[in-house]
Amino acid sequence: MNELNGQQKIAKSPWKRRFIILFILTVVLPMLAVVWLVQRFGGDVPVDYASPTEHFKYGSTGGEHEMGFPYWIWRVLPDVCPQYLPGKGYQSLGMVFEKNADGSDRDLPVGTSQRRYQGIDRVFVNCAVCHTSTVRTAADQPPTIVLGMPAATFNMKGFEEFFFHCAADPKFSKEFILPEIERQGGQLDLLDRYVVYPVAIAIMRDRVLALAGRFDWVSRQHAWGPGRVDTFNSAKVIFNFPMAHLDPDEFDAPADFPSLWRQRQRKEPQEMQLHWDGNNTTVEERNKSAAFGTGTTPPTIDLERISRVEDWILEVTPPSFSQFFPVDAELAQRGAPIYKAYCANCHGASGSDFSGELVGKVTPLAEIGTDRRRLDSYTYTLAVNQATLYAGYPWRFTHFRKTHGYANMPLDGVWLRAPYLHNGSVPSLRELLEPAAARPASFYRGNDVYDPLKVGFVSDQAQGNGPPFFLFDTTAPGNGNGGHTGKAYGTELSADEKTALVEFMKTF
Amino acid sequence: MSMRSCRNWFRAIGVVIIVTIVVGGVIGYDRGFRERPQPDWVTADFETRFKYGSIGAEHDAGIPYWIFYVLPRVFPEKLTQDGKVLPGGYASLGVPWEQGQELPAGFSKKTIGFPRVANNCAVCHTTSYRESPDANPVFVVGGPAHTTNVEGFFRYLIDCAKDPRFNADILMAEINRVTNLDFIDQLLYRFFVIPITKKRLLEREQQFAWIYRPDFPDWGRGRDDAMNLTKYFMIGAPMDDTFGPTDMPSVWNLKKYVWDKGHRMNYAGDSSDAYSVIMDSALGLLGAAPANKQEFVEQVQWLHSYLSELPPPKYPFAIDQAKAAEGKALFDANCASCHASELTGRPLALAEVGTDRGRLDSWNKGAAIKANQVVKEMGLERKGLVEEDLIGYVAPFLDGIWLKAPYLHNGSVPTLRDLLEPVGQRPTVFWRGYDVYDQARVGFVSDTPAAKRVGTRLDTGSIGGSNQGHEFGTALSAAEKEALVEYLKTL
Repeated sequence: MNELNGQQKIAKSPWKRRFIILFILTVVLPMLAVVWLVQRFGGDVPVDYASPTEHFKYGSTGGEHEMGFPYWIWRVLPDVCPQYLPGKGYQSLGMVFEKNADGSDRDLPVGTSQRRYQGIDRVFVNCAVCHTSTVRTAADQPPTIVLGMPAATFNMKGFEEFFFHCAADPKFSKEFILPEIERQGGQLDLLDRYVVYPVAIAIMRDRVLALAGRFDWVSRQHAWGPGRVDTFNSAKVIFNFPMAHLDPDEFDAPADFPSLWRQRQRKEPQEMQLHWDGNNTTVEERNKSAAFGTGTTPPTIDLERISRVEDWILEVTPPSFSQFFPVDAELAQRGAPIYKAYCANCHGASGSDFSGELVGKVTPLAEIGTDRRRLDSYTYTLAVNQATLYAGYPWRFTHFRKTHGYANMPLDGVWLRAPYLHNGSVPSLRELLEPAAARPASFYRGNDVYDPLKVGFVSDQAQGNGPPFFLFDTTAPGNGNGGHTGKAYGTELSADEKTALVEFMKTF
Repeated sequence: MSMRSCRNWFRAIGVVIIVTIVVGGVIGYDRGFRERPQPDWVTADFETRFKYGSIGAEHDAGIPYWIFYVLPRVFPEKLTQDGKVLPGGYASLGVPWEQGQELPAGFSKKTIGFPRVANNCAVCHTTSYRESPDANPVFVVGGPAHTTNVEGFFRYLIDCAKDPRFNADILMAEINRVTNLDFIDQLLYRFFVIPITKKRLLEREQQFAWIYRPDFPDWGRGRDDAMNLTKYFMIGAPMDDTFGPTDMPSVWNLKKYVWDKGHRMNYAGDSSDAYSVIMDSALGLLGAAPANKQEFVEQVQWLHSYLSELPPPKYPFAIDQAKAAEGKALFDANCASCHASELTGRPLALAEVGTDRGRLDSWNKGAAIKANQVVKEMGLERKGLVEEDLIGYVAPFLDGIWLKAPYLHNGSVPTLRDLLEPVGQRPTVFWRGYDVYDQARVGFVSDTPAAKRVGTRLDTGSIGGSNQGHEFGTALSAAEKEALVEYLKTL
C-alpha cells in the first residue's frame, strides 16, 4: 500500500520531498531496523575449535539452544548464590578449569560450550563435563587433565541442585544479577543491560524452575557424590514420567560416569552391549541418548559438531599408567597369566585387545551379584518409550533393550576408572580383589590424588585443599559393594597373586 | 488511469487470486488429506501387518501423530489405573509394546495429509507372557490382550481433551521440543489439527458416557464391554443399565468355527461367523463407514484368511508328559463332553453353566437386527449378527487355553487350577494384567506386590465380575486336578 500511495504522489513535484520523507519513515527506517534486529537477534553461531581435543573440551552439542545460560548469568551465579555451593565457584563442584597464561583459571570449565543464539552468548555443558577429570601423583603436585576419563570429581547432583536452588532464590533477579555482572567486569551494552538480560533472567528463572519441578525426585535421592549420576531415572524425565509415582525400587540408582576411549572397538568387529546394564548396542544411539544430558532435543541437537566428538572418541586412547608412575614390568609379567585365567574371558585380552568370548555381553544379575538398583532403574517401560525418541528422524532410537544383568566391560585405561563396579562402590582394583566383606564399608570419593599401590584414587582422606570429600557409604541404597566376588572373580587368590594381577592391569 | 489499465489490474488480481486458491488447494490437499501408503516393512510379513498395518481407522478415528506423541508428556498424571497414577506413558496402559518399535502393537501410523495414529485388531488381540519377573515379555499374536487397558486409553484421550491445557500453545510448545514441523504444518496444527482433534475427542465423551458411570466398575486390563460398545456406537442405542465386561478373546485358528455345525462366535454366540466378527470389530475401530469400501473389504478378507490359519501357541515351558497323560483321561471324562465334542463352539443354556449373566444381558435380538441394518446400509455384505434370542454362553474350544487366562468369559478366575475349585474357594480379589506366568497354577501371577502395582484389581463381587458357575471337575482330588491342568497345557 505504501508503495502504491507513493507512486501516485510522485507525479506531483511539490509532493516529491514529502514522499521521500514518508518513504524513509515508513520503508527505509523499518527495513534498517529489521536488518539490525535480524543481525542482533538472528543467527545461531557456536564457538568452534579446530583441534578435536579443544572441541571435545569446549565444543557445542547444541544444548545451548534449549538450556543455555546467558554467559554472564552463568559466570556470576556462583557469587549470587554462594550458599548453594560447597565452596568457591564451580570449582567446588569438582568441575575442571584449565589455566590462563597468567595462572588464573579460565572463564569457563572444561565441559562447557558457548553459542550465540537469539542474540545472547549462551553457555551449557557438553560431553566433557562428565567425561574429563584430573589426576595428581601426589597432593602437592599439579593436576593433569585427562580427556575421556570418568569425571570422578564432578558432583552432578550438586551441580543440578545449585541451579535449582539458585533459581528459586529471591536473588535470582535482575536487581542482584546485573550489579554482580558489572562488578565482575561484564560490560553489557544498553540493550543488553535494560532489555536482553532482564528478559533473559526472567526466562531462565522460569525454565530452570520448570526443570526443577521435573527433577525434584533428585533431591529425595541419597547423595550420588562426585563421579556418579542416576542416568536412567534422569532419562525418564525426558518423557515427563510422573516421578513421584514411580515404583520406589527404581530409585537410588546412581552409577559411575564411564570412560569414552576406544569406542571403535566397542562397535567393531562386533557391537558390544553398552551402558552398565548393556541396554543398547549402538554407539551412535548411545551417544545421542547421552546428549540429552547436555540439553539437546531432537530439533536442536548439533549433529555436525557431535559427530566430530564421535569420530574422536572412536580412536582416542587413555594415557598409560607409566606416564605417571613406574610399573614393575617383571611383577606385571607374573600377573599376566593370572589375568588371562581369571579376567580375560569377560574383560578382554588386554587394555587394547578386547577379544574374549564374553566381552561386551551381559552377565545375569544372579551370577554377577552386584548392586541391583542401577539395573532395576532401567525398566522395560522406559525401553519402549525410548523407541519413540527421534521419531520422524532417520535415526529414531531402535536399539534400547531391557536387560537382566550387567555388561562385561573392556578395561582400557582401567586404572583411571576408579572407583570400581558400576556404582563405584569399591575404591581400588586391589580392594575389588577382596571378598565383599573385606572391602571398605565406607570411603571417600572425589580426591584426584592417585594411589599407585592400591590402583585407585586416595580414598581415606576426608579433605584435600578444597571442600571435604564425599563419604561413600556402601550400606546406602544403590551403593552396595557386593558381587563380582568368589573364586572365579579372583577374590580367593593369594595376596602375592593379587598384587601381580593388579600390576599387570596397570599396563592397560 | 485508463479503462484498459484498470482492466489489466483486475485481470492481474484475478490471476493472483486464482493461483493462490489453486496453490492453497494443492497444499491443503497434500498436507491435510493426501493418503500415503505405510512403509514397506509394515506389510512385509503377515505378522507385522497384523500388528502395525492400517485397517483404515486413521480417517475418522485417527489421532494426529504429534498430538498422540506429546499427550503423555503434557498430561502424564492422567494416566491412571484403579485411581493411581502410573508412570510410563502409553506403556502404563499395558499395551503390547515391542522393544525398538515406535508404537505398540495394535497402533498403526499412516499419513493422510499428516501422520495419524489409529488402532487395529492387534491392540486387543496380541498378548504377552514372561517366564519370570527377570525376563522380557514374549508377544503372541492373536492372543487375548490380557494386559491392555482399553477403557483407560479411551478415557485418557477424552480426559486430555477436556483439560483447558489441551490447546495449541501448550501442545505446540511440546511438539516443537520433539520435532521440526515446517511452517505450513505449524499453521495446520495450530489452527486446524489441534482444535479439531480437541472437538472430536470431546464429542466422544457423550458417546462414552457409560464408561464414566460410577455404578459400574472399571473394565480393568484385558477386558471390554464389547456389546455395549456395539450398541452405543454402531446403532446409537440409548444407554441402559446392562454391563457385560468380558476378556478379550483369542483370534487364532479361526477356521475351527464352522457355521454349518452350529458354531457361533462371540461369548454369547451372538455372531454368525468369523468373517462377520472381524468386519464388525473393524468397523468399531473405524468408528464410521469405511472411507474406501473396497480396501476395507480386502482388509477384512485378509484378516479372515490370516487368522483362520494362525496356529494357537504351544505351551512354552516344560510339561510332565506322564502326568499329562493321566490328565487326558480325566479330561475325557469330565471336560470333553462340552469342550471337545459336537457341543463345542455352540451356545449352552446359561442355567447349565451358571456363570455371570451380565454379558448375556448386554445384547439382544433387537440390537442385532438394527446393527445388521446399519452394516447393510454401508453396503457391506456379511452373514452378520445372530437375529435370535440368546440362551447362554458358547462352550469354547480350548486351543491355546494356557494363554487365555484369566478364565471364564469375564476373566473372573485367575488360573485353571483355581477354576477347578468350587466357587467358594476361588480367589475373590486378584490383579489382572501382570504378565509373569504361573506355571504351577496355569495362568498369570495375580497377587504378588508387582502384580498389584502393575495390574488392575478385580473384585468378583463387582457388577459383571462374578466368578460363579462352571463348577465342573471341582470334586476331583487335588492330584487329579494337577494332572488335568497338566494335560490342559498340551492343548
